[in-house]
Amino acid sequence: MEQRRIFEQVFTTESAIAAFVFLVVLCALAYSLIRRRARAGATPSPHAERQRLETVYVVVLVGIAAFLVVYTASANDREHPGGESHAAGRGVEAAHPVTVDVTAFQWCWKFSHPAPGPSRAGEATTTANCRDGRLPTLVVPTGRTVRLKITSQDVIHSLWVPALRYKMDAFPDHTNSFTLKIDKEGKWIGRCAEFCGNRHHSMDFWLKAVSPDEYEEWVQQHQGAAPTPEAST
Amino acid sequence: MTLAPDAARSTGASRSVRPRSWLGWAISTDHKRIGLLTMGTAVVLLFLMGILALLMRSQLAQPEQQVFSPDLYNQLFSIHGSGMIYMVMTPFAIGLGVYLVPLQVGAPAIAMPRTTLFGYWLYALGAVLMLTGFAMPTGAHADGWFSYPPMASSVYTPGNGTPLWIVGVFAATVGSLGMGWAVLWTALRKRARGMTMLRLPIFTWSMIASTLMVIGAFPSLLAALTLLAIGRVEPSVFDSNVWNIGYQHLFWFYGHPVVYVMFFPYLGAVGEVLAVFSRRRFFGYKGTVISLLVFAALSMSVWGHHMFATGQATNDYYSLTSIALLVPAGIEYFALVGTVLGGQLVFTTPMLFALAFIPQFLIGGLSGIMVGTPVIDYHVTDSYFVVAHLHYVLFAGSAFGLFAAVYFWWPKVTGFLLDERLGRVHFVLLVIGTNLTFLPMFWLGQFGMPRRVATYPEWAGFGALNLVSSIGAAFLAAGMIAFAMNIQVSFRRRPKAPADPWQGHSLEWATASPPPRYNFTPHLPLPPITSNAPLLDARTRQGQGRA
Repeated sequence: MEQRRIFEQVFTTESAIAAFVFLVVLCALAYSLIRRRARAGATPSPHAERQRLETVYVVVLVGIAAFLVVYTASANDREHPGGESHAAGRGVEAAHPVTVDVTAFQWCWKFSHPAPGPSRAGEATTTANCRDGRLPTLVVPTGRTVRLKITSQDVIHSLWVPALRYKMDAFPDHTNSFTLKIDKEGKWIGRCAEFCGNRHHSMDFWLKAVSPDEYEEWVQQHQGAAPTPEAST
Repeated sequence: MTLAPDAARSTGASRSVRPRSWLGWAISTDHKRIGLLTMGTAVVLLFLMGILALLMRSQLAQPEQQVFSPDLYNQLFSIHGSGMIYMVMTPFAIGLGVYLVPLQVGAPAIAMPRTTLFGYWLYALGAVLMLTGFAMPTGAHADGWFSYPPMASSVYTPGNGTPLWIVGVFAATVGSLGMGWAVLWTALRKRARGMTMLRLPIFTWSMIASTLMVIGAFPSLLAALTLLAIGRVEPSVFDSNVWNIGYQHLFWFYGHPVVYVMFFPYLGAVGEVLAVFSRRRFFGYKGTVISLLVFAALSMSVWGHHMFATGQATNDYYSLTSIALLVPAGIEYFALVGTVLGGQLVFTTPMLFALAFIPQFLIGGLSGIMVGTPVIDYHVTDSYFVVAHLHYVLFAGSAFGLFAAVYFWWPKVTGFLLDERLGRVHFVLLVIGTNLTFLPMFWLGQFGMPRRVATYPEWAGFGALNLVSSIGAAFLAAGMIAFAMNIQVSFRRRPKAPADPWQGHSLEWATASPPPRYNFTPHLPLPPITSNAPLLDARTRQGQGRA
């Protein structure tokens, strides 16, 4: 859950800076509203400019901007060590990640887990139709690097797992990918985040992390089988 | 002077068309009439788009509600967003410039008056065409204000709503381009003697920066719309990723600068209002002028930050340019806050709106830095966090600037006063409504609510915050009713406004309310233009003369 960690860190930092700036402006306004009222007998300042103060201020602003640029770019680099287009994962297991092919379509998801080895005969596939709570489940092993290769059959969708604090668009005629690594077992909701038509609002799926052993077992069970029963529309 | 032949022509025309008739309004080349037509149309559409938003908020108030079918809901959010951006905030901003810039630079007329008039009618035609979609059997456009292909292609969105939207937005954008050119040219070439560039009022400067962006960015929207139109005829174009991602680049090359076109003029208006009701000169004028121009230039380089999650944009570059925007934005805030800090504040209705603009827009700006940060944006983009962010910018910010402008210039434009008490009611309801509606959306986005969803399941846990948001929308509705009443009362009672009810700073306050056809006459001559606040200078001189 590297994405989540990085998000929390950067979001907290930027929120703190934002809160500070907001408070400063609010204090200046509050002071003016109370002390600079015409009725309080204030007289307008004759200064039309405070150039030295403004110059110092601009230098401070440039400093803040420079800090934010470097800080957020390095966070982005940690999140996408291989460059954004083929996102993340020059880590230890980058050479042998568990790969899942994700196909988005109007209006649900298909997840294909290719079997190890060159032949794709043994791939395990799950899908559903996202109607009446019949959601497909993306099963991944904990503790291992998982590479999601995301594409679409029709329009643009976006795979979003709010708990991961990450999303990636699914384009037709293009494959995006990113890696994730989940530390603990659990089940989280995933959603489509790019408007894609009438059932966009219910295009959800489950992300389920299980132990590596359980994952192997799950893949074997679903190998070669037709997509899970709930898929039949 | 250019006045003579123009005047001759207009007297020629008035022989057949009575100037006060509807036709006299419809074909007038008086920049004040064109500006008023534009702003009037935009305000009518503002009410209409607000009603669409209320319908959406009623559906979202509770989980799993089906007041409207998803298809109709999609039309509502699409026309609300498109309407507010293409047909309300942008045209109002430019219309305000059409009205004010010639007055503020001391010109008798706008440059290219016929182009300006044609621009208005293109805009009006565009708005009508877009709305006509609701009368089509398949309904209005339903793919959002940015209408990405292939979703917006004829394969996935058949019917006439989208073609009408394409033609409507195209027409309105060409109209805005024409009006933008005219405003820019007026500010650059029609200035009165003595009106140097660094004596232009801050509002006029904000219009220069805005219209530069109009000219630089709006053609890109026309290209994007053309691509979409081609794809409607030949959908296989969008089988290729190149054109899908290409559309997004073309669109956002327009789509980000337009945000500032919908912001600068309101910022400029707020700046004037703050200075006048702080009873002092606008503070940090030169810094603001430079920052507006830097801001406008930088705005042309940030478009890709709308595309981080496409996996097909260079994060570091777009993030750098986006974060760099905080420098010019910070300079503008320095000026706004500095003006107030050294002022002698008078709390009229326009001043209240201008004061509320400062912290409310700041929330939009600060959250803007967050969405411009890729590692944050991956989570919050296309979620309600972005909906909150953009409404803090455009409603809590720009729309408050719009209302400040309406209350401030209403007496000048109509010759009547607005009611201060109703104005305060409008203001208070709007502040409560705005923050109650849009603040919870930041958390909804954080918690995982995607934007553009027709409904949401109960177990998602979005119910409570959505209810708060919908209650806020009711306050907004009440506030807008107070605004409508205020306009109606002003027109009915017609309390006469003096030429300069507020002790204004810029030239428009030196002429009558409403100003005569050619703005300044031998009886209402231009005062000496000594700085960016010539009327303030005159008052200071008078004061010194007395002392």
